[in-house]
Amino acid sequence: MSYLELKNINKSYAGVAAVHDFNLDIEKGSLVSFLGPSGCGKTTTLRMIAGFEQLDSGTIRLDGSDIVPVPPNRRDIGMVFQAYALFPNLTVRENIAFGLQMKKTPKKETEKRVNEVLDMVRLQDTAKRFPHQLSGGQQQRIALARALAVQPRVLLLDEPLSALDAEVRVVLRGEIRRIQSELAITTVYVTHDQEEALSISDKVVVMNKGLIEQIGTPEEIYRAPMSRFVATFIGTANQFLGKTSGKNKVLCNNVELLTGDLNGFEEGQAVVVLVRPENVQVQADKPQQKDWNVVLGGIETITFHGAVTRLGVNVNGQRVVADITVANTQPVSLNQKIWLMFPPDACQVMAAEE
Amino acid sequence: MAKSRSTPFHVPNKKIRPAGWQVFLVGFFLFYMLVPIISTYVFSVATRWDRTILPEGYTLEFYQRAFDASYFPITLRNSLILSLATVLVSLLVIVPTVYWVHTRLAGAKPLLDILMILPFGIPTVVLALALVQVYNFPPLARSPFLLIGAVVIYSMPFMYRPVANAIQAIDAHVMTEAGQSLGANVFQVLSKIIIPNILPGILSGSLLVFATVFAEYTLTSLIVGARFKTFPLLLVEFTRINGNVASAFSVISFTIAWLVSILILWVGSKGQVAKTKAIRTG
Amino acid sequence: MKSSLQRKTGHTVDWLGFAPFLLFCLAFEIVPIIFLLRGSFIEKTTHQFTIQHYLDLQRPLYINSFINSIKLSGLTAIIGVIIGTFIGYAIYRWPSERVREALITLSDVTTNFAGAPLAFAFVVILGMNGVITQFLLQYFNYDLYPKFSIYSFSGLILAYVYFQLPLMVLLILPAFAGIKKEWQESAQSLGADTLQFWWRIGIPVLMPSLIAGLTLLFANAFGAYATAYTLVQAKLSLVTLQIGYMIAGEVRQDQAVGMAMAIGSLFIMGLSIGIYQAATLRTRRWSKS
Repeated sequence: MSYLELKNINKSYAGVAAVHDFNLDIEKGSLVSFLGPSGCGKTTTLRMIAGFEQLDSGTIRLDGSDIVPVPPNRRDIGMVFQAYALFPNLTVRENIAFGLQMKKTPKKETEKRVNEVLDMVRLQDTAKRFPHQLSGGQQQRIALARALAVQPRVLLLDEPLSALDAEVRVVLRGEIRRIQSELAITTVYVTHDQEEALSISDKVVVMNKGLIEQIGTPEEIYRAPMSRFVATFIGTANQFLGKTSGKNKVLCNNVELLTGDLNGFEEGQAVVVLVRPENVQVQADKPQQKDWNVVLGGIETITFHGAVTRLGVNVNGQRVVADITVANTQPVSLNQKIWLMFPPDACQVMAAEE
Repeated sequence: MAKSRSTPFHVPNKKIRPAGWQVFLVGFFLFYMLVPIISTYVFSVATRWDRTILPEGYTLEFYQRAFDASYFPITLRNSLILSLATVLVSLLVIVPTVYWVHTRLAGAKPLLDILMILPFGIPTVVLALALVQVYNFPPLARSPFLLIGAVVIYSMPFMYRPVANAIQAIDAHVMTEAGQSLGANVFQVLSKIIIPNILPGILSGSLLVFATVFAEYTLTSLIVGARFKTFPLLLVEFTRINGNVASAFSVISFTIAWLVSILILWVGSKGQVAKTKAIRTG
Repeated sequence: MKSSLQRKTGHTVDWLGFAPFLLFCLAFEIVPIIFLLRGSFIEKTTHQFTIQHYLDLQRPLYINSFINSIKLSGLTAIIGVIIGTFIGYAIYRWPSERVREALITLSDVTTNFAGAPLAFAFVVILGMNGVITQFLLQYFNYDLYPKFSIYSFSGLILAYVYFQLPLMVLLILPAFAGIKKEWQESAQSLGADTLQFWWRIGIPVLMPSLIAGLTLLFANAFGAYATAYTLVQAKLSLVTLQIGYMIAGEVRQDQAVGMAMAIGSLFIMGLSIGIYQAATLRTRRWSKS
């Protein structure tokens, strides 16, 4: 039995399902992200774990016991909000000590613990200040310290970095991960930013419209998306519509693509072939590789992204995106004719639903 | 600058019904606010109401007597003159000043804010005493012109707030720069660009000032008194002569206040619609 | 954020544009009050500096008027704040937005009703033959009079509370909106129950608004004239009424004492407004975090 178990969770608002049939096991000490667009149900699920939303049906077990009937102030769960939610009338020290005071911790111990967590988030000299005197990033770190001070069984973070500047976000997410793994505290992290989720999580739960699309490690989610939604939500992907043809080919717009084994598919089934831009290689002369997919196209757009340059190539009316790095020595210019190639195992084939 | 997206403490759900204590408190509030007003309305049409819960009979004679009162037309006229004159002077003095400070004299804003808070800190009797003491020479002594000055000061904050908000909302100094870059001088900018766009604010302010001045008693009675009898003065007079007619006057007073409030709301909502339209198309 | 416009402005010439308004304020407000201040320190016949007029305020008539005014303003302020806060909370938590808006509009209108018509309305309902007086007599056999009279201190309290209540409601509603839901949830996740939240977070955050309410309502009542004039006149001595008598020349009093009274009341008003401003600044601080 895992440390935090969510079984068959359902919740709807005014007849519309916000969360549907949610099942998840979270191992003790791991960091699991709920990732998805706005309205996918990730925050609702988190708030149900915290006790701020009621379930329509299902169970939540923490360390073996059912916590659904337990009120939120007794669940021993730490929470960090997007809006920091530091108490404005209390100093940083008093904010952090709040939870300990609720537990009637003796003064000496409280002081010791407050200093401990302030050290952890590296904000020792802010102890006497008030929240409005701190920057957004500092406030969020104090919010984290406050949640951790009571040594909760589970740490919940609801889009904690969304209100912060981009630079601060990158630094802070590293801090959060560092502290989380040092303390080995079971953590659920809600975000709509896939970069965030992929960089810090042990496991990612991709959600869409109240349903779980996929659960897996960041690598699994990225390399082996199980649905079109996951494939397009995580990173960018070229999507080629076509029909299966034979054991390992898909016919897209009169182009035959070598895709590898098409075991689960019927002959002639409508499918989508997904290829990530970084797997599409680019060459001026016709490539000689056998058993690779090779097509010719004209460069329509060149976008410089720093480390990577993204090419938009028109191949018989279909736009194909390819990423080339600085290491690529090929000169490229608009309207240049160029060869694109990618191997069969760079192709992910999925049933075309709609 | 980090943005914080927090929610207000309690976001009520439409489907929930109000709790018992809420109904009790709001009910008490409504009772307290409405009973005196409604009673006045009823009293003004009651023949006799000193022995029973509901009036013994109804009549319009008190309104007739009110309209027949010798000073009635004069006081109405005087009140109208006073209110309109105050609105005019207020507009002339305040609107250009607010615009000027917003666009050219940001350093004066704190001073302007203080001056606009000042009338709240000066009781009307004190203002009346000060003015009567200083301007004790003709032609200003106890004259309507002195009264207008006093009332403009008294009602300043009511004109200031809507106008200042409106000028802030349209970002007047950017508009001015745009206008100037197209060749307009200050007066043209004011008249063709600024004023048309802050019209809802000007209207709200004018209506507020009008309503406030129309009901003003203290300054009028102490500075000019019977020399320039306004409607509120007549009302107070009748409270000592004939209660029923006084209540008829009260009804007129309340009704004008209600009507002006509705007008202000209506102007305010039109202003909102205009703003959203501007934001969508802009 | 300094714009190019701001760099080119603020010159002496620009202050000319501010002059008309400034002159108007000086003429009709500031200078007269300065004269008032000056006059309160001058002996009428000898034109010498003196504080005698302020000392004269110790006379029972004047001292009583100050005591009465402060009592009246203080009482109606406290009543207004307490009841107004609870009513405000009831309105804030009301589910229907339309009802909330309507109640706010009602408050906006009724708080400006102070004056003779309002005073008279209270006579209509609580006078000797008033509607409520009759109602109590007929249905509960209870005679309000002669123990109670609308033309008295207690009558005045009822009339003043009428316009104090909505003022407090309007003041406290944004303060409730400023209490963020996340604070209560945070507190809960840290182990606090509703009472602990309100005691340690909610009420302290609300406190500046409550203080602002107290001082604003106090100033509002202290400076009121017309309502008191209509209801009590000579029966009760209040500061504003006394000053009014001196202007109207209805009583043979030394004008200078009136000026001293006026300055005294300005001082009290100034203090209230000062505390009010300080309290309001504190509420703005909360919203930054």
